[in-house]
Amino acid sequence: MPPEQAATPESSPKPWGATIPRRRLLRMLGLGALSVAPMSVLPELLRTVGPGRPVEPVDGPRKPATTRDGRIRQWTMIIDLRSCDGCQSVGGPPRCTAACIEGHLAPEPMEWIEVYEQELAGDGTRFVPTPCQQCQNPPCVNVCPVGATFSTPEGTVLIDQDRCIGCRICMAACPYDRRFFNWGEPPIPPAALLADYSAEHQVPARKGTVMKCDFCPDMARAGTLPYCVQACPNDAIYYGDLEEDIATNGRVVVAASRFLAENDAFRQREELGTKPRVYYIPGHGEAVGRDVFTPGRAPAEWPWTEIVDGAQPWQR
Amino acid sequence: MNATIRQTVRAALVLVAVGALTVALAAPAVASHVTVRTSMPSAGAVGEIIPLAIDLHTPDGAPLSGTTVTYYLHMSFAGVEGHAVIGRAVTDDAGVAALRYEPRTTGLHQVRMEYLAPGATTIESVVATFDVAGGTQLVRSAGGVDIPGINPGLLMVVLGGVWLILLRVSFRLVAIARAGGADVPPEGDGPR
Amino acid sequence: MAALSGWQERLEETALAPVRRTSRRFWALVAAEVAILAWGLYAYSFQLRDGLVVTGMRDRISWGLYIATFVFFIGISHAGTLISAILRVSQARWRTPVTRIAEFITVVALICGAAFVVIDLGRPDRVLFVFIYGRWQSPIIWDVLAITTYLTASIVYLFVPMIPDLALFRDSLKGRTSRWRAWLYRTLAIGWNGNVGQRRSLAAAIGVLMILIMPIAVSVHTVVSWIFAMTLRVPWNSALFGAFFVAGAIFSGIAILIVVMAILRRAYKLHEYVTEKQFLYLGYLLAAFAAIMIYANINELLIHGYKLEEGAGFHLRQLFLNDFAPLFWFYLIGGLFGPIAIVLFPATRNTRGIVAAAILVTVAMWIERYVIVVSGLRVPLMPYAPADYAPTWVEWSILAGGLALFALLITLFTKLFPIIAVWEVAEDHEATVSAFEVTSPAVPEMPAPSGGTYS
Repeated sequence: MPPEQAATPESSPKPWGATIPRRRLLRMLGLGALSVAPMSVLPELLRTVGPGRPVEPVDGPRKPATTRDGRIRQWTMIIDLRSCDGCQSVGGPPRCTAACIEGHLAPEPMEWIEVYEQELAGDGTRFVPTPCQQCQNPPCVNVCPVGATFSTPEGTVLIDQDRCIGCRICMAACPYDRRFFNWGEPPIPPAALLADYSAEHQVPARKGTVMKCDFCPDMARAGTLPYCVQACPNDAIYYGDLEEDIATNGRVVVAASRFLAENDAFRQREELGTKPRVYYIPGHGEAVGRDVFTPGRAPAEWPWTEIVDGAQPWQR
Repeated sequence: MNATIRQTVRAALVLVAVGALTVALAAPAVASHVTVRTSMPSAGAVGEIIPLAIDLHTPDGAPLSGTTVTYYLHMSFAGVEGHAVIGRAVTDDAGVAALRYEPRTTGLHQVRMEYLAPGATTIESVVATFDVAGGTQLVRSAGGVDIPGINPGLLMVVLGGVWLILLRVSFRLVAIARAGGADVPPEGDGPR
Repeated sequence: MAALSGWQERLEETALAPVRRTSRRFWALVAAEVAILAWGLYAYSFQLRDGLVVTGMRDRISWGLYIATFVFFIGISHAGTLISAILRVSQARWRTPVTRIAEFITVVALICGAAFVVIDLGRPDRVLFVFIYGRWQSPIIWDVLAITTYLTASIVYLFVPMIPDLALFRDSLKGRTSRWRAWLYRTLAIGWNGNVGQRRSLAAAIGVLMILIMPIAVSVHTVVSWIFAMTLRVPWNSALFGAFFVAGAIFSGIAILIVVMAILRRAYKLHEYVTEKQFLYLGYLLAAFAAIMIYANINELLIHGYKLEEGAGFHLRQLFLNDFAPLFWFYLIGGLFGPIAIVLFPATRNTRGIVAAAILVTVAMWIERYVIVVSGLRVPLMPYAPADYAPTWVEWSILAGGLALFALLITLFTKLFPIIAVWEVAEDHEATVSAFEVTSPAVPEMPAPSGGTYS
């Protein structure tokens, strides 16, 4: 080795970090590690940070539904389980599900409002019609990477199928099993192809995008009740406006807040902090004569798809 | 004697009839003698709590206390009309029951107050109206918790910092490229 | 010294050999990899035409093999971080022969991982929406940001220490290789000639990068874990996910590095540089991380198993007893306890044993990712019967195509770029040699205008 190289290392500096004193290095690393440590807490912290105000809807500025004096409606649904027997007495698939499928041309096997049969703590079952819970702290809106699913000023959660990229993180995030994906080409009747698509009226359906119950905002805005509310033979579903504190099932009108409070209303999976807009009044169909120990209901059907040639359903 | 008996019987019958009539009319007559006065606010706005007062007195002016009054408001929504219970109030010692109600719609409100007076068998009601002006939005939903500082801006700052450092590294590469012309050590092939 | 310079010459020849000569076996391998990749693309064409209905995923289990493979690839991309950065920072000399391949595995794995996310999309034609309409609050956007940052930093971190070796290629292959290759080396070597100024810049750049890339790498896999942890699904709703995934990533990264190193060592006769020592040390690291993984698993499983909340009970039963039992037990025993056992017993504590352990770990970690994704989605949210998921031929074909792409890119790399960090290995060797030699006036080593950055 040339004599000058045998001397101090500075004369031929190693090209990698030997020039940084080890102690300073370890100190830097330590600080770096400290800054990384709080990251384990971030999931909890960040999940609570939802969008503080309703997101601007993706389909352009839209006038929200308002009361006479310009206050924005806050749509809500109240489902009186004392009157729901899963349409056992009707003898067919649940009418709310059937009407929604028909009205929205929901592809098979989507049940935007699905009647679950819940086991009660003290034996027996009850039927729980479950539409999208229209959460006020919606996990689906929080995680969507492109803002395809968004909260409206009325408090509903809608999906813009023109923006959805089909990543399905919203489906992983929804704790109520209320989102459905168009895995294949959804059946579209010829009339629907000409329909004016809007996030409030998800027709025609698009392959590779997510769909769900939208609370029928276009109908509510026009003063009509949603399909499920109209179809229920026992008038178990109430649709209302929390801003005007009013709700109706098509037959009677109630003051929503009093109706909820006096009947010990609850919400599904309250502990998750999603703040749903769908309330339930506890019961098991006793008001319409159902015995709590009669299980089972007819499965949903999609008769409208028969008019479309080559409609290929997929499994749930 | 026949005339006397006939007169007595006639008088007795009249008395009985009058008595029966009196008794017949007595019950409702007693109730219909409850003096009802309602006091509706002259001006109210959405979101403002207004008292809907009703005053019950017996015919002889004594206040009717301890009577439960149920308030029904006429509402209409999505083409369905009806009366919905909005609250209950009990008359106090002065015979006044006042429900503190927060109106949520604008326009003319028709409220029906029903009560069962003590001793009465049928529920009576009285209807009153009041007007409500518009107000501000009452229900606002805020999703989640807002922690100052933890927001996307922080993420952008951190990310910007990292990419700045990468940029500085690229400047070093430019320096290497530029130093390529300088001071080349003597060409010496073979074993290095 | 003649011996030293002979050693140096052999080193450079070994590094240059793959570029100088290409055997028929190489082309056969490339052909096989391209064939499998083509088959994967053919399967993907079905998916593009018919939609994701050709997979086994459905509404209840809406993520499956694609997302599992994505997480797996991002995980093995941590090979480069550990070897190159952490060991470089701690000045572990034994890592020098394997750093180059580790860094390249990182880049290739990130590319393959990103590909699988796009494959999983329902509307891949809208993938640019992620950049146009991206929401900063979304875990997927954090993922995109982290992976693009990590990919950029890894490419730079691969390139910068390769400059002196590219200069070696540029000078040694002058006139003896194709024109485009000569142009490539000349351009990428950015005029390196080993002078003092350049060496100083290189040292500074590498110093910054090796520290910077560690938090970036940690953040990447943490953010990938948050795609799961930011949901309310019972098996995923855990604060431990970030650390758990990072440990798993480094674990699988070490394993894939061992496997790739073993293959390349055999193919290019690197036995003199990639010795049993490298395999042993990597094996120890593998065993250490297996222990860390066991610890993390005990935390997760015991904490939930002790209380048995409703969803947790179902999940633990499906992991240990029911649907996922065979996969999960293989992961636990083969992937976690296996490496520790192999390293523990002297009979298996050798190159062959450690390579076997690494293969077990690689397979087991893919299985673990698959189990996390599918079993997590399988726990019922509402009163319905749990769904089942089985990947279809399309998904398996695309997986094979992805693995073939991974292998193909590495194969092509070895033909184009120096697979050994020549100057670092030489430096390490010289330091070792001079540690043994006292003062011996050797033949003056003429500082070369290329290659070795020591003089």
